[in-house]
Amino acid sequence: MLVMNNITKVFRTETVETHALKQFSLTVNEGDFVAVTGPSGSGKTTFLNIAGLLESFDDGEYTLDGRSVKNLNDKQLSQLRNEKIGFIFQSFNLIPDLNLFDNVDVPLRYRKLSKAERKERIEHSLDVVGLANRMRHLPSQLSGGQQQRVAIARALAGNPLFLLADEPTGNLDSKMADSVMSLLEEINQSGTTIVMVTHDLSQAERAHRHIQVLDGQVTEQKRGAPELATVNA
Amino acid sequence: MSQIGPIFRALMRNKVGALLIALQVAVTMTIIVNAIHLINARGDLMGRSSGLDEANQFYVTSVGYANDFDAPYVIDTDLGGIRQLPSVDDAVQINAIPMSNGGWSMGLQTKAGEGENSVPTALYMTDEHGLNTLDVELIAGENFKATEISYRDRNTRDWPQSVILTEALAKSLFPDLSPTEIVGQTVYIQSNEPLTIIGIMDHLQAPWTGWTTVNHSMLVPNKFDSPYSRYLVRAKPGQREQAIEQVEQFMKQREVGRMVRETETMTQVRMDSYRGDSALQAILWTIIVVLCIITALGIVGLVSFSINRRRRQIGTRRALGAQKADIMSYFLTENVMITSVGVILGIAGSIALNMWLVSSFNLPRLSYIYLPIAMIAMWTIGLFAVWGPALRAAQISPAIATRNV
Repeated sequence: MLVMNNITKVFRTETVETHALKQFSLTVNEGDFVAVTGPSGSGKTTFLNIAGLLESFDDGEYTLDGRSVKNLNDKQLSQLRNEKIGFIFQSFNLIPDLNLFDNVDVPLRYRKLSKAERKERIEHSLDVVGLANRMRHLPSQLSGGQQQRVAIARALAGNPLFLLADEPTGNLDSKMADSVMSLLEEINQSGTTIVMVTHDLSQAERAHRHIQVLDGQVTEQKRGAPELATVNA
Repeated sequence: MSQIGPIFRALMRNKVGALLIALQVAVTMTIIVNAIHLINARGDLMGRSSGLDEANQFYVTSVGYANDFDAPYVIDTDLGGIRQLPSVDDAVQINAIPMSNGGWSMGLQTKAGEGENSVPTALYMTDEHGLNTLDVELIAGENFKATEISYRDRNTRDWPQSVILTEALAKSLFPDLSPTEIVGQTVYIQSNEPLTIIGIMDHLQAPWTGWTTVNHSMLVPNKFDSPYSRYLVRAKPGQREQAIEQVEQFMKQREVGRMVRETETMTQVRMDSYRGDSALQAILWTIIVVLCIITALGIVGLVSFSINRRRRQIGTRRALGAQKADIMSYFLTENVMITSVGVILGIAGSIALNMWLVSSFNLPRLSYIYLPIAMIAMWTIGLFAVWGPALRAAQISPAIATRNV
């Protein structure tokens, strides 16, 4: 489903050349729950950005749902992000001026779905995260854990190929973090693939697979559900 | 893609910046609409026909200084000579130049006696060449005869018996009669002096362009016995410059104890007469342009600030699938909505300001055609101003969504 082969990413300034990813390879299969950990500067976020089509890469091959993304233009990448990937951000990234309904509606509007279908999807996804009764509230009226649940609902509403979570519990206390992780586990058990970048090893252990990244390369992998994933690093 | 609903709801929760832009648009529109209205009103004023053949006319002034200066002799021989010049169509001595803002005015009344209502009119003294030199047409009656022309000076109190009136003046005096019926009627000058209307001319402006009865003019068959004399000359079509040269040369070579001064074309007279109006138009245009620039810069500033404040939000939208065109469309739509609020306020403001100008300064009422034009202008300025910032917003990388600052 998600196949990265020998991905290289170099950040260049006038004086410095930083190799964020070096020959990075990873395969994620359908239904998998992969946690990616590593110290700051190891290349986790660069991996996440490339996997989420937020950033380009210099070399290698990245295939998403059987389609090479290397030569896609900005419009095609936007469409692919919208249709295939659900993002969950560390800081939730909800739009503060929009209520929960409108926040979840944001990616659906870019897909040009009918109003009725959008409404059905929004209500269903907010129901899944337990916030259907607060859809007219603003993000500022919710706790951090609830805001992250809204972000998860927003990611789920588009029925993505996989969820890409960037430190989804990074801004939450342990109780809320546990609640969000439980929700992600439930979502994964219902068949949604999840790739999660995290600092928290205890959270990473709850995933099927745990990939450790150091200096832009996969250094270790632990399997929770080996039949669902393969790693080539 | 319709984003109007979420944009509207977002604006409702963050009103201050939007309201500032809307108010700026409203004030700009209010001023622009009324400024353009004033410019056009002045333009209409300046574009009025004088009734003359301005492109081919000029006047020249003669001032006698010799002790034995014989004005009637000089005037008659000057005119005789000028009319013979090859580039001259006709010429006449005249006491006042149309549009020059200097001349004579009198009151005419249809009944003799003190206290009767009188109608103001400009008075031009000309001979039988007046109609042709001025290029006015008789629509009823007849021209003066050469035998009717007499000289008068500052002490003359009597008036000649016949006059030619403009149609506007004649209609003002006899509103129920046709021009043909007005010919032969008697009017009174200085309350009791009878004048017979022998002709009605189509149109001739008074010397004062700001006069409310600027189309009220009459010709009397007089020449003015004075050392100071002005000749209005009509050149043959397209030969005005040659005519000026020939007339000045002819007059200067005559040794009759006078100086030849001040030759001015009617084109210059018109420009001088409306110089204030032209200046007002230029000032108003400057105000309009400056206001538009200030409004555009205001929008650019506020939108740029708003975009900088929402960089992560824009990156998030991009990450969630917004294309660059969607981001552009978002900010352009948002601007159109804010500008529309300003435009609605601007319509009310424009009408209110015009009502105040009408009541305070007796200006003409606003033509409502300006409002849709100004609305389109405001939307165009808004879109023009927001285009650059929106384009920059569209370039924000979706990767910014994952940065935790």
